[in-house]
Amino acid sequence: MSTQDVLKLIVENTREVLPELEDHAFTADDSLKELGANSIDRAEILMMTIEALSVSIPLAELADARNIGELADRIHAKSNA
Amino acid sequence: MPSRTPDAHDLVFTGIGITTAVGQGRDAFLAALLDGSHAFGPMNRPGRQVPSAPTGPDGTGPAFLGAEIGELAMPAAVPPRTLRTASLSARAALATLDEAWTDAGLADVDPYRIGLVIGGSNVQQRELTQLHARHAQQPEFLRPTYGMAFMDSDLCGLCTEVFPIRGFAHTLGGASASGLLAVLQAVRAVRSGQVDVCVAMGALMDLSYWECLAFRAMGAMAPGDDPGAACRPFDRDRAGFVYGEACGAVVIEREGARPGRAPYGRFLGGATAMDGNRNPNPSLEGETRVLRGALREAGLTASAVDYVNPHGTGSRLGDEIELAALRECGLTDARINATKSITGHGLTAAGTVEVIATLLQMRAGVLHPTRNLLDPMDPSLPWVGAAAEPWAVETAVSLSMGFGGISSAICLRTC
Repeated sequence: MSTQDVLKLIVENTREVLPELEDHAFTADDSLKELGANSIDRAEILMMTIEALSVSIPLAELADARNIGELADRIHAKSNA
Repeated sequence: MPSRTPDAHDLVFTGIGITTAVGQGRDAFLAALLDGSHAFGPMNRPGRQVPSAPTGPDGTGPAFLGAEIGELAMPAAVPPRTLRTASLSARAALATLDEAWTDAGLADVDPYRIGLVIGGSNVQQRELTQLHARHAQQPEFLRPTYGMAFMDSDLCGLCTEVFPIRGFAHTLGGASASGLLAVLQAVRAVRSGQVDVCVAMGALMDLSYWECLAFRAMGAMAPGDDPGAACRPFDRDRAGFVYGEACGAVVIEREGARPGRAPYGRFLGGATAMDGNRNPNPSLEGETRVLRGALREAGLTASAVDYVNPHGTGSRLGDEIELAALRECGLTDARINATKSITGHGLTAAGTVEVIATLLQMRAGVLHPTRNLLDPMDPSLPWVGAAAEPWAVETAVSLSMGFGGISSAICLRTC
């Protein structure tokens, strides 16, 4: 699984949690917060992602990521650890 | 006779929302009531039958019977992102509130003057059971949404997020009397001036197989493999209640506060009582006390009541005590039927659903049939039997009882 695959998974889960973003063209620079995800939405998206990858990361370790690209990097690093 | 609360008769019902297994929306619901149709069958919703347990004729135990809502039509007002994590109870609450909201025309009311009382506690049992099972092996991936959604008050949060209700909103638990207690609480909220308009809701109690097992073990839930015949309130052959998914909502406000509304009916009086008994068994003393209390507040004599909408679950002892209470209070001339013979027992929803059934029958001038009443326990009472009957109802009484010694009654009048 590459970082790109993790990013793709985050985008998929974001679209599920926020169906209004169905037509949004996601990029690695997108911030979940700026896309309209509240703190519960963000935690939900991350939990769905790490469950799909079967990787255990305290969500607090992802809290200060600035965009979904950074999130993908960190989750990818953990999943290959 | 003691003096009445001065403004007791000013309160009216100006909106109705109703979702049941026999019909969604007041027109479909009334039509189903008058037809005496039913939706009972072995329950299919995930989490309603004991997993991996053999069921049916060849198995160890028969499947749990009940009436389940088919497709729940959701209003456009509810955004898809909200629906994704809303439980069945919450979705039913939103759909039912939408109907009542539109019916009463609440869009024009100051949101800070609207309140919401949701009757019921522990209403999302099936969804919680499903979630626990899903995460039993990997609890670390439990969804964070669970932290707010497991509480019944999530229904209040969702309803007030979608509809502009800013006065107050809370849940109110009283077992199977919850739906009527919510109506009586909404009456108090308007009467006291806390809000101008209050919505009372009986929440959909979403049973899991665990509650079904316990209800059956305690002898409350009817066994049987004939879905159409299992639910038979007030019949000598009754064997317990049959569950039915339902949610109801009514809008209560002062008469004339908003000109142009044509209310369904008027609140005349209500009463609640505790029997001092934690158990499920009913109390003749408690039921007569609430009947007399509600009639007293209404300023009605028993002989002036045209129609009784009883609790009538099909419980062996409950139905017997309820009829004894009606006789004790002289309510033997009023026409009587059993709404649960058609809807099943909505538990927390029942009290509101039956106030709605009463208001709709009053307006229609027709009383709905009582299904499966082939051999009435007390044939001397003026039952509505297998067919609907035209009947002018000016005054009505409805009863709701709950486990833990809760009795409640309400008196209504046409407008």
